[in-house]
Amino acid sequence: MSLVEAKAGEGHIEVKNFALSYETIDGSVAAVTNTQIHVKPGEFVSIVGPSGCGKSTLLNAVAGFLKPTAGTVTVDGEEVKGPSAERGMVFQQYSLFPWKTVQENVEFGLKMRCMDRSRRDRAARTLLGLAGLEAFGKHYPDRLSGGMKQRVGIVRALATGPKVLLLDEPFGALDAQTRVIMQQILNNMWQRLKISVLFVTHDIDEAIFLSDRVYCMTARPGSIKAEVPIPLERPRQQSMMMSSEFLALKRGLMSLIREESLKAMGGEISDQGLQGLNIDLHGQSLAEIL
Amino acid sequence: MSSSPAHALHLTERETPAIAAEPAPTVEPVHSPVTIAVLAARWFRLNKSRLRATLIGALSLVAFLILWHLLTKYRVVFFVRFTNVPSPLAVYESFTTAIHDPKFLMHVSLSCRRIIFGFSLAALVAVPLGLVMGRFKLIHETVFPVAEVLRPIPAIAWVPMAIMLWPTNEQSIVFITFLGSFFPILVNTLHGMVLVDPVLVRAARCLGAKEASIFREVYFPASLPHIFTGLTVGMGVAWVSLIAAEMISGQYGIGYFTWEAYSLVQYADIALGMIAIGVLGLTSSVLIRSAGRLAMPWGRT
Repeated sequence: MSLVEAKAGEGHIEVKNFALSYETIDGSVAAVTNTQIHVKPGEFVSIVGPSGCGKSTLLNAVAGFLKPTAGTVTVDGEEVKGPSAERGMVFQQYSLFPWKTVQENVEFGLKMRCMDRSRRDRAARTLLGLAGLEAFGKHYPDRLSGGMKQRVGIVRALATGPKVLLLDEPFGALDAQTRVIMQQILNNMWQRLKISVLFVTHDIDEAIFLSDRVYCMTARPGSIKAEVPIPLERPRQQSMMMSSEFLALKRGLMSLIREESLKAMGGEISDQGLQGLNIDLHGQSLAEIL
Repeated sequence: MSSSPAHALHLTERETPAIAAEPAPTVEPVHSPVTIAVLAARWFRLNKSRLRATLIGALSLVAFLILWHLLTKYRVVFFVRFTNVPSPLAVYESFTTAIHDPKFLMHVSLSCRRIIFGFSLAALVAVPLGLVMGRFKLIHETVFPVAEVLRPIPAIAWVPMAIMLWPTNEQSIVFITFLGSFFPILVNTLHGMVLVDPVLVRAARCLGAKEASIFREVYFPASLPHIFTGLTVGMGVAWVSLIAAEMISGQYGIGYFTWEAYSLVQYADIALGMIAIGVLGLTSSVLIRSAGRLAMPWGRT
């Protein structure tokens, strides 16, 4: 397991005075403004927020795909200049190479490092075993279910022994049942590997269940609205999601996000507007009124 | 701590059989020995729709031959004149003599050689060009306008120009074949490059891939299905161009054979030439399709 286990004390993400804006014909549009976040070595941190708030933008900047307009992104004190195998990334769309078998997908990062074939093969087998996929090494990705694909996606990102793992709504495309199982698997993997994780999601249950801390972002332009520590004990079990402690955290985060979601909809819908769904039809059917 | 990985495995094991895409081989409890009759019945059940398609296809072909035979036997004239059209039997007769005739075989092999040269050259130039055009903006901006101007010109329109350009007749015919297949291959390769999923490129970057590896491991295999579409279309157009070029400027070749048969009033040979062209075209497209299946084992067929 030494292959993938993170070195202690590594993987400190620091985002300072971060801002990112896009140039459009109408001038520059701010996606994220004045944001500070950090992830301590071995910590599991989530970012939640209304859709379009810039949480994925922030994650992509940490990955090195986007350059901040202002501020800095560093990992262990080193500035992020572009994508690298030091920061493993898992995408919502799985993004497995369809022309490579599961085993070859997992080996990809090691091949890029010119590791020789037999060592690569052994490493990939170990990782696939960790994800319960040892029997599927020779399959092509399109033969797998969504949950299996994403497990391959996660171990592929872990194969190069990254300092941090970045996940962009990784379970967003999965059905509710698979999702819950995947959360448990990710939770167990993280517990075992002690790697720093930055996790973007819009699912509040998921964020609370997995994280040590949750950042809640404001509507666009995004910035950090609140930082919520999750003091639930570890290892975590699904049953905890019914505890009063969990529900209290959930209530708090939901009201934070609700405010922002309403703002994000541009005030089209006020709280009263939402109640408009209970229109009294005075016993008439809709067809009669129309 | 030590219990959690076991827990993870337990969960995954429970999940996999339900979701596994590949159906596990059905292990029915075998009470009676599997006889050949049982196996045959099972095979029949599984292949029913394919058998049906084959049967109907064969009947349809037979009906076509009978219709052809009747139309020529009674020399039907109804807008279209079948007076001089050879009957299927006459064509078969000329086929049996032709396959022993070294001249006919020479025509066929010359056409095949022209196709192999022209088409291979087109593939060797158009595929790499399409790949680099898709990857490097400057090359795209430079080459694309020229390609767009030349592309609508049918290869046959190049015949006079080709005769002027190339010292021998043979070279100009190969050139026409090359031109015919070049643009479909180029355009499809380029199209494949445009459609490469950018998330896959990002995933490769995150795994430490540099430019050359991304090209080799992501862009190229991602474009392969479109490249093979281009090759299939290109092969079709190559035959069209070749036959036309042979009819206009050729000596030898199956296109020339067909045209010559008309001049020499050997009507059965016209149909024989046509059928030969059809068979050759079909064979070459089958070859490309099987090459595609070999090159892309991940694709479903």
